[in-house]
Amino acid sequence: MAEPAYTVASDSETTGEEKSSSTFAEIAIGIDIGTSQCSIAVWNGSQVELLKNTRNQKLMRSYVTFKDGVPSGGVSSQLLHEHEMLSGAAIFNMKRLIGRVDTDPVVHASKSLPFLVQTLDIGVRPFIAALVNNVWRSTSPEEVLAIFLVELKAMAEVQLKRPIRNVVLTIPVSFSRFQLTRIERACAMAGLHVLRLMPEPTAVALLYAQQQQQTAHDNMGSGSEKIALIFNMGAGYCDVAVTATAGGVSQIKALAGSAVGGEDLLQNMMHHLLPDAESLFLDRGINEIKSMGLLRVATQDAIHKLSFQHSVQIDVDLGTGSKISKVVDRGEFEDVNRKVFEKCESLITQCLHDAKVQIEDVGDVILVGGCSNIPKIKNLVLNVCKRDELYKGMNPLEAAVCGAALEGAVASGLSDPFGNLDLLTIQATPLAIGIRADGNNFVPIIPRNTTMPARRELLFTTVHDNQTQALIFVYEGEGKTVEENHLLGYFKITGITPAPKGVPEINVCMDIDASNALRVFAGVLQPGSHLPAIPFMEVRMPTVDDGHGWCAEALHRAHGSSLDLVTVQKKI
Amino acid sequence: MISTSTTSFISSAPFLAPKVRVPNSNPYPSNSIAVRPLTISAASCASTAEKPAMSHTASASSLYDVLGIRMGATNQEIKTAYRRLARVVHPDVVANGPRRTSTQTSSSADDFLKIHEAYSTLSDPDKRADYDRMLYRRRGPVSSPAAMSYAASRFSASMSMRRTWETDQCW
Repeated sequence: MAEPAYTVASDSETTGEEKSSSTFAEIAIGIDIGTSQCSIAVWNGSQVELLKNTRNQKLMRSYVTFKDGVPSGGVSSQLLHEHEMLSGAAIFNMKRLIGRVDTDPVVHASKSLPFLVQTLDIGVRPFIAALVNNVWRSTSPEEVLAIFLVELKAMAEVQLKRPIRNVVLTIPVSFSRFQLTRIERACAMAGLHVLRLMPEPTAVALLYAQQQQQTAHDNMGSGSEKIALIFNMGAGYCDVAVTATAGGVSQIKALAGSAVGGEDLLQNMMHHLLPDAESLFLDRGINEIKSMGLLRVATQDAIHKLSFQHSVQIDVDLGTGSKISKVVDRGEFEDVNRKVFEKCESLITQCLHDAKVQIEDVGDVILVGGCSNIPKIKNLVLNVCKRDELYKGMNPLEAAVCGAALEGAVASGLSDPFGNLDLLTIQATPLAIGIRADGNNFVPIIPRNTTMPARRELLFTTVHDNQTQALIFVYEGEGKTVEENHLLGYFKITGITPAPKGVPEINVCMDIDASNALRVFAGVLQPGSHLPAIPFMEVRMPTVDDGHGWCAEALHRAHGSSLDLVTVQKKI
Repeated sequence: MISTSTTSFISSAPFLAPKVRVPNSNPYPSNSIAVRPLTISAASCASTAEKPAMSHTASASSLYDVLGIRMGATNQEIKTAYRRLARVVHPDVVANGPRRTSTQTSSSADDFLKIHEAYSTLSDPDKRADYDRMLYRRRGPVSSPAAMSYAASRFSASMSMRRTWETDQCW
C-alpha cells in the first residue's frame, strides 16, 4: 500500500536461480486474517506451504485473551474449553470491528459478543474492553490484531528460521480505505510491512490462475481465456469476484462484497432461540456474559451440525434460570436467515452485471470460505450460476491464504524455473471514489471496478459569482449522497480568478497506483487551456482519522455552500 | 517507413524484464499488417534512455498500434495482446524486475493505462466500431505506409479499407 520503501532484489544482473536463493530470506509471507480463523502460508521454493503452530494446526482461531493482564492469542495459547473464549476476557471478531465508527450497524450487531462493545452513537470509535479480574480493560481492534500478528510473526520466524518483515494480507472487498489504514497500522505495530492488501477473492483468483496455467502447460494448449466466478463467505464477510484468466494473468473483471457472514447467521439464530436476549444481557455482569457465551457455543454447534443433518436438538442451560430445549431443523435455519441468503444472491448478480459477463460464459464457479459447507450457500451459488457442480481444485479454507502467499512470492521478485510464479493480477477498484459536488451528491471520478492502476479526471466549476476558493471533499463508496459514503479527506483550493459562476474550470484528477495508493490532484485551469493557472494540489488519501464524519459537518457549518462545486457536463 | 511484424516490434522494446517470457510464435501471421514502426523523436529518445520502461506507446498512433495488432484483429487476439503487454509493462512486473526505480514504475503505470485504454475500447464492439469510424475519417487506411500520412485520400479509401476489415473479420 505505502510507497515501497523496501528493497528486495539485488541490483546486479543475476540468473533466476541465483536471484531466488539470494532473495529467499526476503520472501513475503501470506496471511489470511479471518473473522474467526486465520492462517499463514509461504512459497517454499517450489510450492505454497501452510505453516502449522505447535499444536499442529494450520487454521488458528482469531482471538486474544487478556487473562491475568498478559495478552495471548489463538496462535500460541490453547483454550481449555470453548467457553473460556466466551468468559469476557477474550476479544475476537476484530475484523468486523476494525476501522468502524459507533454509528455503524455492524458495530451495533457486535454488542451481542461476550465482551464489551459500547457505543455513544456519535460517529467515533466504539469502546471495546475485555474483562480482566472483574475490570473492563479497554483495548482497540488494532491492538488486538497487532497482538495476534506478533504471535503469527514469531511462529513463522521460528519455523522459517529468518526474520519476517514483508507480508501480503487478504482483506474483505467491502473494506474502506480507512479500514485498510487501520490494518496497516496493526501490522506496523506488529513490526510487519504490508507489501499488498489483497481482496480475498482476488487471492483465490490468483491461485486459480496458477492452477489453470499448470493445466495449460500440461496440455500444451495456448491457454485461452477462462472466466471464473469466486464466491467467498467467511464468518464476517461475503465477497464475490469475476476473473478472466489466461496465461497466468488474472484479470479482475468485477468485485462485490458486504459485511454479511457466518456471524450474522449465528446472531439471527441466537435471536431466534432467545428472542429477548438483548434485554436479558443488557447488564453485562459476569453471569450475563457467561449466559451469552453458553448460548453462543450451543448455537454455533447446532449450525455446524445442520450442515450435515436435517435437524438438531438444542439443550442449553443459561444458568440464569432460563433453559432452552428445542429441536431446530434446516428449513427453520434457512428461514431465519432468509435476508442473509438473499444478500448473497444479490452480490453474485451484481458482480456478474458489473463484469458484463453472462452466467453461461462463466467456466468455473469457485466456492470458498468458512460458510462453504452450509448446504443453503452451496445451493444458492449453484442456482444463481445455473450449475450442477462447483470447482473442485482447491481447499475452501486454504485458498485465500495460498493466493496471498503466491502474491507474496511474486511481489518479492521471485521467479520459478517451472513458470509457477509467472503470474500477474490485474486488480480492480472495489469501491467508487469521487468528490462532493452538485449539492450534497457524491460524484464518482473513479467508478467501482475500474482496472488498477487507474487515473481519471473530471471538470468542475463554481456555484457562486466571484467564488475564489473551493473545498474538495473526497469520498469512497456507492451511495448517491455523501452521507452514505466514507469520507477519505478534504482540502481547499484557492486562487480561482474571480468570474461569473460556472466559468472557472477546476480539474480534479484521481490516481490509484498498482499498490492501491490513492492520490488526488486538484487545481484551477487557465481559461481555454488544460494548463494549471497556479500550482495544483496533490493529496495522498485517506487523510482523515477518527470522528471523520464530524469534520465534514463542521466544515459545512462554518462555510455553508460558499465553497461548493458543480460538475461540468463534459468529460476531458 | 517500413512494416514491422508484431513480434519483433514488441521484443525490440528495451524494457523487457528477464523473467517475462514473450511467446516465440507470432500469433498474428498476417501479411497485410502494417504496424507503424517506432518513430522516436530526439526528445523522446533521451527520455527513453533515462527510463527504460518507456514503451512504444508514446509513439503509437492508433489504439491498434498501442496493442501491436492489425486492424482486423479478432477479439481473442486483442485479449491475448493485452495480456502479453500487461505481463511486460504492468507496474507490478516492472517493480519486481531487477532494475527498478520509482520513475520507471510510474512511467510503466502510464504505459499500462494506455494499453488498458486501448484494450477497453477495442474489446467493446460498439466502442471499437466508433473508434474505427473516427480513425478512417482522421487518417484513411493504413494498408500502405504512404497512406499513413494524415493527408491521405479520405472517403473512397476508407470505404475500401472498410471492406478489407470486414473480409478480415470473416476470415
